[in-house]
Amino acid sequence: MDSEALWLTLRLALTTTALLLAIALPLAWWIASGTGAVRALVQAVVALPLVLPPTVLGFYLLVALGPLTAPGRLIIRLLGHPLAFSFSGLVVGSVLYSLPFAVQPMVAGFRAIDPALAEVASTLGASPLRIFRTITLPLAKPSVITAAVLTFTHTVGEFGVVLMLGGNIPGATRTLSIALYDQVQDFNYAAANRTAGVLLAFSLLTLIAVYWRGAARRSVLG
Amino acid sequence: MRHHVGALSLDVRFVLTKPWNVLFGPSGSGKTTILRGIAGLVQAKGLITPRGRRTPLAPQSASLFPHWNVADNLTMGGGQRGHGDSREILKLFRLDDLKDKLPNALSGGEAQRVNLARATMWAENGGILLLDEPFNGMDVALRDEIIHDMRAWLAKRNVCVLSVTHDVAEAFQLGAEVIKIADGKVIAQGPVEAVLAEERERLLKQLI
Repeated sequence: MDSEALWLTLRLALTTTALLLAIALPLAWWIASGTGAVRALVQAVVALPLVLPPTVLGFYLLVALGPLTAPGRLIIRLLGHPLAFSFSGLVVGSVLYSLPFAVQPMVAGFRAIDPALAEVASTLGASPLRIFRTITLPLAKPSVITAAVLTFTHTVGEFGVVLMLGGNIPGATRTLSIALYDQVQDFNYAAANRTAGVLLAFSLLTLIAVYWRGAARRSVLG
Repeated sequence: MRHHVGALSLDVRFVLTKPWNVLFGPSGSGKTTILRGIAGLVQAKGLITPRGRRTPLAPQSASLFPHWNVADNLTMGGGQRGHGDSREILKLFRLDDLKDKLPNALSGGEAQRVNLARATMWAENGGILLLDEPFNGMDVALRDEIIHDMRAWLAKRNVCVLSVTHDVAEAFQLGAEVIKIADGKVIAQGPVEAVLAEERERLLKQLI
């Protein structure tokens, strides 16, 4: 078992999840709070990683973050090294790749809230911030948790983007799924079996926890 | 106020003169939209309401906050100043035994009582309270008691009520000033005996 790769994978998934919650929450709320062409466009862009081959996303990011583009050159000047083939580069890629997994459950959650609740609260004198904090957010909490779990597990299982953008640097970009690929390339099936087992068990346990929790909630709230 | 939504066009002007005023009219005549306009939930031209004041609205569908029990529904989770005494309100609307229940454990009539209680509690002294079909689904005996107690509570605080109904008997029971609406226009305003005389005759004939 490659414990360095395991630790790196967890660190990447945690960082990505934290960043994505901060980005996706306001974005999802904005998408859910209206209609129109601009919102449709933003939603389409957000959903793109669902259908795009991860290697395509990885390739564009590799080019965009490298010395061939102005933003890439700026990053290299500021950091002293390119974002590609570094942990930070992987975080950028993972955030984009998992964006729909964070945004879409939250949009569904916000849309499921009866708009009359916010209206009533406003006629009772509650400010928009208070309404969001005490009514909208608590009612959307189950979908925010779903979004966080999906983002985390999806990032753990990421392969194409990591390979294109990060390569295979132990301790920096070599995640579990990359380690598994490596082990298979080396015909080290015993090690590959252990790595695959860890990823399978982790995914399955997470999903069981999500469904179990969902069932418990339904039986409590009727 | 003037308001347009698709085919519905609303052009109404009236003054609330009595402690209890009733907007009376058929479904689709714009009664609910008028309440929503006064509450600030729809944009309307020439709308005059006291600036910077709350005008609580009890909507037709109870719209209780599902994550709060009855007591917290009244206080909106607590912690906000400026509302009346919630204990007094719980008693007035006969909600003492229900105060720890979540909305999904309430019957339709109970939920409607909480809805009514919540709006009443947040009415400002000297302000306006908006009620959309407030006594729907409430059993008659309880309704009479609550109307009686509510009147006293509101009179003490000089709150002016504008309630919507299409029920002639309810308008008479409230003994209210009636503003009769049809097709988005005010067609009559005055004491209930004068404005709804015709409707009353028709109702009595049906009963006999």
